[in-house]
Amino acid sequence: MTPSPTVAITGLGLWLPGYPSLAAWSGGTADPAAATPGGRSLDRINRRRASVLDRALADVTAEAMADAAVDPATVPTVIGSSIGEAATMIELLDQMWRHGNPMSPADFTMSVHNAASGLISISNKNRGVAISLAADDDTPAAALIEAIGLVLGDGGPVVVACADEPAPRSLVRHAAPWDMLAAAVVIAPLESMQPYYSRLRVTTGGVPSVAPARVGEALGHNPQIGLVDLVDAVRRRAAGIVALDRGPGRGFGAEIEPGPRLHP
Amino acid sequence: MVRAAMRPLAVTGYSVLSALGASRAENLAALAAGRTGLAPSLEPLPFETAVGAVTASLPDLPDGLTPWSTRLARMAAHLVAGLDEPLRRARARWRPERIAVLLGTSTAGAETTERAYRAFVENGAFPDRYDFRRQHTFGAVLHVVATLAGAHGPAWMISTACTSSAKPLASASRLIAAGVIDAAIVGGIDTLCRMTLHGFQSLQALDRGPCRPFSSRRAGISIGEGGALALVERDGDARVLIEGVGETSDAFHISAPHPEGQGALAAMAAALQQAGCRPEDVDHVNAHGTGTRLNDSAEAKAIRALFHHPIPVVSTKGFTGHTLGASGAIEFAFAALAIEEGWIPPSLHAEPIDPDIGLHLPTTVTHGRCRRVLSNSFAFGGNNVSVLVGAP
Repeated sequence: MTPSPTVAITGLGLWLPGYPSLAAWSGGTADPAAATPGGRSLDRINRRRASVLDRALADVTAEAMADAAVDPATVPTVIGSSIGEAATMIELLDQMWRHGNPMSPADFTMSVHNAASGLISISNKNRGVAISLAADDDTPAAALIEAIGLVLGDGGPVVVACADEPAPRSLVRHAAPWDMLAAAVVIAPLESMQPYYSRLRVTTGGVPSVAPARVGEALGHNPQIGLVDLVDAVRRRAAGIVALDRGPGRGFGAEIEPGPRLHP
Repeated sequence: MVRAAMRPLAVTGYSVLSALGASRAENLAALAAGRTGLAPSLEPLPFETAVGAVTASLPDLPDGLTPWSTRLARMAAHLVAGLDEPLRRARARWRPERIAVLLGTSTAGAETTERAYRAFVENGAFPDRYDFRRQHTFGAVLHVVATLAGAHGPAWMISTACTSSAKPLASASRLIAAGVIDAAIVGGIDTLCRMTLHGFQSLQALDRGPCRPFSSRRAGISIGEGGALALVERDGDARVLIEGVGETSDAFHISAPHPEGQGALAAMAAALQQAGCRPEDVDHVNAHGTGTRLNDSAEAKAIRALFHHPIPVVSTKGFTGHTLGASGAIEFAFAALAIEEGWIPPSLHAEPIDPDIGLHLPTTVTHGRCRRVLSNSFAFGGNNVSVLVGAP
């Protein structure tokens, strides 16, 4: 792949354990009460249906869209998750093999990878493009490339959100465990009139030059850590190449250059 | 015609695998003969239903890929082998890092995981060779396809339930237009697994016998498996063209379609708009047509709202079953077959046709002009895709 065309980053969102927003992360003091995401942007019915993963994706998507002042009812969404609703899948497997119960129709419905994408579109009354994808540790890079294609095709902003819950330990026995995280960016055409945080293009083969976010080891193993590193780097007005994975991926990078807008 | 918003993509090769057979010729023969691939499940189930199982023998993976070997991966390997010649030409023409792998699945490796988890529950241990990262994740089969195809470009798996393998056609068209890639392997694969069978049974959405889309006797879906891959290129010696891909959301309900088919209508209209086509330029609709009362009714309303001429509408799920995440790709392949062969397959098991559907639903092969086909896929999450396929 040759480097992608350049776009602008116009909005940011973040959820880490103890830090329910990018503002909280910027403040630097963890809130032990913020241990799980609230999914406050989802309407009440869909919040009840939502998994922890869905709520985290809804939270970061809402924060980034508000930050970029884009219309939640029209902006296309690209959701990335390496293992998706694996926790719900384990519940289904237990219902089938451990308990011999009939499967819960609600659990089955919410086991699809695009559950979060569907809940967000329903809550926002968004009838536009909604994509849900996965590419293991390259998921953040894949979601950004897909979104850049949409930005250039449609000429408007796109919200990209990535998250993964901890992998079920019964299934992932030999890999390092990871903690949950979620991050989001809004990208837009560079020539749009809106002040932007940073320019962005996705590259391969470049040497990362921007330090990753200072997070604990368990967060660092999460397949979506690359998008957290990008959000943190943009917040810090860093310039250079941010690695979009921390080792196990194919070496995609985000080349960024600060723009006129400062993160509050 | 109005001005097209999308430059057509050249489809320079495609391969298809379903309950009808393991090759284009076998699928073609079954469609022409009106021969279903649906049959009672060979796996014991606590309920009655028909399934569209792939019965063809599948290739073993080469030595270096053995740890990735699953039924899903072996299906993918079979489909990549079916693209051998066009891939050889594409690799000679484009750099491997400019050839992407953009696929879709809803099940990923669920069939392997559920067997492994059953062993874990019964014996307290997973099978030695079970590896979640190499056999279950969405990225696992991407690795297999990219390695076998020699494609080193961006690779991802879209998972939007039953639209999963139709959406990569849109992704590829955008990335080629943006100059990020020159070619892509697109499509998708799904396998039968107990989780989906039990899940749709819990929703009371399974027909006890072969599904009957658009029939007054329709009583639900039959689940199938299989897949299709296509090689799409910036330009080239096209067998068919992808002229437009409409993507919308219902924003209505997580598992039920909008009753008036508003999202479906918008997706079809968007595909036509991208191509610069009018409804009367389309010769045939390959409907999503699952066989549930709500889905077929909503889709019929959407088709009637868009097309004001008696366009032949067919659901091929009476042949293959609903192959879920693979259905968009398989039905794209059937649309390509219809254009290349100049005939439209029958809507199997549709008789007696539900009078409320109000569509022209041929139940025998229709010969005649077939230059442009609209192929619909709709999914949980209110996700809708409509693909316009045209003759070169």
